[in-house]
Amino acid sequence: MSARRIAVIDYGLANIRSVVNALNCFDVDVTVAENGAALGDAKLIVLPGVGSFDAGMRGLNERGHVEALQRRVVEAGVPYLGICLGMQFVFEGSEEGSAPGLGWVKGRVERFPSGQDQPKVPHVGWNEVEVAPSSKLMAALQSPADFYFVHSYYAPLVCTHGIASGICDYGVQFCAALERDNIAAVQFHPEKSQLGGMKLLETFLQAGA
Amino acid sequence: MSRIQKHRLIATLLVFNGDVVQTRRFRPTNNVGSAFTAVDFFNTWTVDEIFVLEISKDDAHRVRFEEIVEGLSRRCFVPLTVGGKIRDLDRVRTYTRAGADKIALNTGALERPALIREIAAQFGSQCVVVSIDARRNADMPSGYEAVGDRGRVPSGRDARAWAEEVVSLGAGEILLNEIEHDGDKRGYDLDLVRLISDAVSIPVVAMGGVANWDHLVDGVRQGHAHGVAAGNIFHYTEHSTKKAKEFMAAAGLPVRGTTFYKVAMPRRPAYRPF
Repeated sequence: MSARRIAVIDYGLANIRSVVNALNCFDVDVTVAENGAALGDAKLIVLPGVGSFDAGMRGLNERGHVEALQRRVVEAGVPYLGICLGMQFVFEGSEEGSAPGLGWVKGRVERFPSGQDQPKVPHVGWNEVEVAPSSKLMAALQSPADFYFVHSYYAPLVCTHGIASGICDYGVQFCAALERDNIAAVQFHPEKSQLGGMKLLETFLQAGA
Repeated sequence: MSRIQKHRLIATLLVFNGDVVQTRRFRPTNNVGSAFTAVDFFNTWTVDEIFVLEISKDDAHRVRFEEIVEGLSRRCFVPLTVGGKIRDLDRVRTYTRAGADKIALNTGALERPALIREIAAQFGSQCVVVSIDARRNADMPSGYEAVGDRGRVPSGRDARAWAEEVVSLGAGEILLNEIEHDGDKRGYDLDLVRLISDAVSIPVVAMGGVANWDHLVDGVRQGHAHGVAAGNIFHYTEHSTKKAKEFMAAAGLPVRGTTFYKVAMPRRPAYRPF
């Protein structure tokens, strides 16, 4: 039996090597999908992302990923994991730009407040995530779980009521992970979060079994 | 859940002519073998980040080092910082493409400070670590001088003034070493670490001289360092980074937990000598 195929979406701007490296440790067949057509019949889809929201959405649109994601994730129910910017894309938009997001979750991503008594932006480093008892993705982890973050924008909890599965505090409390049916998204980098992160990826890969 | 960032434990690998080495006062002393086996240890045992620094005399081992970085990134599941011979954006791109999350600058920044700003503009401040090698010098206002070219060429710059300058140019973090303390098993130069940590608003990582876990705690408590790095001590002790972490936690420092999760990684790259 051949390993299940997992597609990692490449939209030309993000460094996806770390995510591909991490996934390659598991018994899966990792394909880098450079355009929507390459998504094919992948059993799992991962969208990593670093960079700006508008440039990212432009890349996804130009390469036919938006259409393909709609078809595979929304219509066919293929398990999706968004990482970092790949989490922010699932919303309707971002304070960072004007491009529409994928719109799978209502609401807009916001920027961390800056000011004298606010923590430094971007939020870089290890931080704790309070894991909701309902979380499937992080069911194997002890709460709070430590994950590695690099970001300036965040998903407000007011948009993720009922689907937030991980909450982090960085001056403001924000949604660090969300899970709704076949859609999962995390603001942190599981591929850089050592064994806890690898455990999360392993759990996600099993979901598509 | 907290706004207080946890103190980081960082393992450093020094690569000299393609091999991982230990150093004393910035001179390689002995070869400790493969970077990959070392990283496998660090990965498994709760280190928070890995710094890999190329310290050869010249650039002749460039390709080999890039291969090492690439190989490391395939088995390193914590943030990876790569330094050595960075004098332009091209080299930064090479390292990030090979898998670096952050880069560390030293001599290149002393020679041309604007390089810090250029890299920060392109890759973000969080990507830029400026490594400062200092040595006591009574003629300097702060008592320390920044030294370039692997601790061999005095820059004429006061170490504290240089630290403040790199912050204003967009550095995201400072890696701080005192040359006489390197490999000397006396612990960090706590006067220096405190001097710089108190002077700047960005995280300072102390490095050089750690011989026991107390030295790590001292770096944070007395030196006010945000992160503590060590190299030599980790190479020969099994479970060493886990023990270091547990010691720091027992001393009351906020650190990332050492919870072990069993993850089956059947296709994780095995160690293969070149």
